[in-house]
Amino acid sequence: MSLLDLTHVHKHFGGLQVVHNLSLAVNAGEIVSLIGPNGAGKTTVFNLITGLYRPERGDIRFNGQSLLGLEPHAITWCGIARTFQTLRLFLNMSVIENVMAAAYTRTHANLAQIVFRTPAFRREEVRIRQMAEEKLAFFGERLKGYRLDQPAYSLSYANRRRLEIARAMATEPKLLLLDEPAAGMNPNETLEITELIGELRARGGYTVLVIEHDMKVVEGISDRVIALDYGEKIAEGSYHDVATNERVIEAYLGRKSATTK
Amino acid sequence: MEKFGRDEWVAQAEARRKARGALGRVTAPWERLPPWARFALFVVLAAAVPQLIHNDYVIRVGGNFLLYGALALGLNVVVGYAGLLDLGYVAFYGMGGYTYALLSSPQFGIHWPTWASILFVVVLSLGLGLLLGSPSLRLVGDYLAIVTLGFGQIFVQLATSFDRLQVPWSDQPLNLTGGPNGVVNIDPIRLFDFAFKTVAHNYYLLLATLALIVIGLHHLNQSRVGRAWRAMREDPLAAEAMGMPTKRLKLLAFALGAAIAGLFGALFGAWQGNVFPSNFGVTLLILLYAMVILGGLGSLAGVLIGAFSLSVVPEMLREVELSRYLFYLGGLLVLVTRLRPWRHLAAALVGTIGGGYLLKLGVTNFWPTLVTAPQPSVSPLGRMVQNWLIIPPNATLIGNLVFVFVVLLLLFVARAQNALARVVALIPTLYLLAFVWETRLALEPSITRLLLLGVLLIVLMVYRPQGILGQRRVEIV
Repeated sequence: MSLLDLTHVHKHFGGLQVVHNLSLAVNAGEIVSLIGPNGAGKTTVFNLITGLYRPERGDIRFNGQSLLGLEPHAITWCGIARTFQTLRLFLNMSVIENVMAAAYTRTHANLAQIVFRTPAFRREEVRIRQMAEEKLAFFGERLKGYRLDQPAYSLSYANRRRLEIARAMATEPKLLLLDEPAAGMNPNETLEITELIGELRARGGYTVLVIEHDMKVVEGISDRVIALDYGEKIAEGSYHDVATNERVIEAYLGRKSATTK
Repeated sequence: MEKFGRDEWVAQAEARRKARGALGRVTAPWERLPPWARFALFVVLAAAVPQLIHNDYVIRVGGNFLLYGALALGLNVVVGYAGLLDLGYVAFYGMGGYTYALLSSPQFGIHWPTWASILFVVVLSLGLGLLLGSPSLRLVGDYLAIVTLGFGQIFVQLATSFDRLQVPWSDQPLNLTGGPNGVVNIDPIRLFDFAFKTVAHNYYLLLATLALIVIGLHHLNQSRVGRAWRAMREDPLAAEAMGMPTKRLKLLAFALGAAIAGLFGALFGAWQGNVFPSNFGVTLLILLYAMVILGGLGSLAGVLIGAFSLSVVPEMLREVELSRYLFYLGGLLVLVTRLRPWRHLAAALVGTIGGGYLLKLGVTNFWPTLVTAPQPSVSPLGRMVQNWLIIPPNATLIGNLVFVFVVLLLLFVARAQNALARVVALIPTLYLLAFVWETRLALEPSITRLLLLGVLLIVLMVYRPQGILGQRRVEIV
């Protein structure tokens, strides 16, 4: 049994079929890339998995348990965390607080313990802080020291992307959903992200499902690539198989017309 | 040496700027104090007031400040932390007041022990907060505001009209709330055989309760719940996706705010000895919102300062001499903080006072009829001002005209681009401002205090839209 299982999932907005009869599986420990042209329904798949949308038909299972009908925070509790394509940080909170806030699902202090600052509460606070610093240390020197107490809006674009990943890690997920982690990054940073995703599995032990447009990144990280077009799976396999698949090339570049033949 | 990056140096620019200059040297020791020490200082000062001033009026004003402060803190939980625009907040305050009143007054002859009444009030407010909150939370922003405003209005209407309630078990209508006449003769709070009867007793009771609330909220703010509230206010969808149960957290904030309001409603009823529907109207709601916004959404100390500014300061302005001090000191403070460099400030002050002195000397010598003799009864500050200010015989008329003129001058000063022009224009402006104050404003404190309050609000909201201690929020970067 795989970690994440989508079976025959349908989703439409009004008359627009966004995801059509999609089945896919992600095994524990895998890094799977989801590719496809703009509007293929990749982000919708993420929104379906994380409970922001509800599919009309089909089933989504995580660790054998159906996620249908669960609220997004409950799905996060089950062990799925995501980043957003358009960054959605808590901009007016400090860097460390962004990460600490995401520890909510894994902490237990109740109102009485908080108001009276019981020893159990204090211990938990210390633990949350250590955990947050640890997650941020994943990114080397960039999110350390004085940066921790600066507001998130003072960070550069690339650092915001890193902070979003750290925030997702703080929910202690088994599966990380990364929505275009390399978007808007320069070539050096893109290279770094490629290494980072590998590290996420090697050091963090996360299973990763990633949406990415940059084919160099996809080639560098993927165990398996799934290509979508118009909400349907058009190809699946190793990077090489998918990249040379005729339907995939057609989806990206269009069909050769009869006149040019 | 530790590595000290350039961007780190840039990041600390604000802190260095603050610590510089005479003002910085004064505020620096205060900034170094830990938050608990500042709060302890506040409590000690507040506790000393009834010991030093044996005047029931002053203590009552102080008690009102504590009451408003606590209510504003409760509102701050809902609006500042959770970001819910709740316009029904005062209804919970009223509910607390009326519930306590009915449980401890001759209205029905019920006299529960205080602890039972208070406990009942708090639990009831919590419950009502949850009850009214749960349908409201499907709504956001303006829609939530309108629905909750409806709750608030319904409460006032019910309190006004439930003096003739038809009940199935009796032919006589039941007088539940006393209608516009309210519930009177409410028992004072009684704890461990001690009755909080006098104004000072109630002052200390309010202070102690407020202190506990502040500590509790401060702890809450620095916990997983506080962080989740802030995250939710920033981006509810991201907060939900990061595992925070946003519905439950909103409901918690709503209920907690309601409980604080209910508790202080009960304390208010016990202190006043009576409750009327008019105590819980929209005016109070607006006042509380003004306190929270003026002080800074989300900041505990800021909200208390906001409550002070809008409850104690207007009372101080009733007193002509006090308001005179406030006016001149406030004006000086504005000049000191806004006018740089220092020589401009010195030029403006010397120009105004020195020039005024010469002017008065000249006018007194050549046209003595234009100057009235100084009034003997005024305070040292008043006498000082009259040394350089000409008060003509028909001061009322001229004062009215100068009032309009001085507003135009102020606008010019505020908009002037050229520093020299501004300083030059500032001299007659300050002189005429003092003139208008002495001839018109100081004589009619009831109008002046509201006028000054309005000006204060406008100026503060223009220069610090985030409130006195609020943090500036960056929406789009």
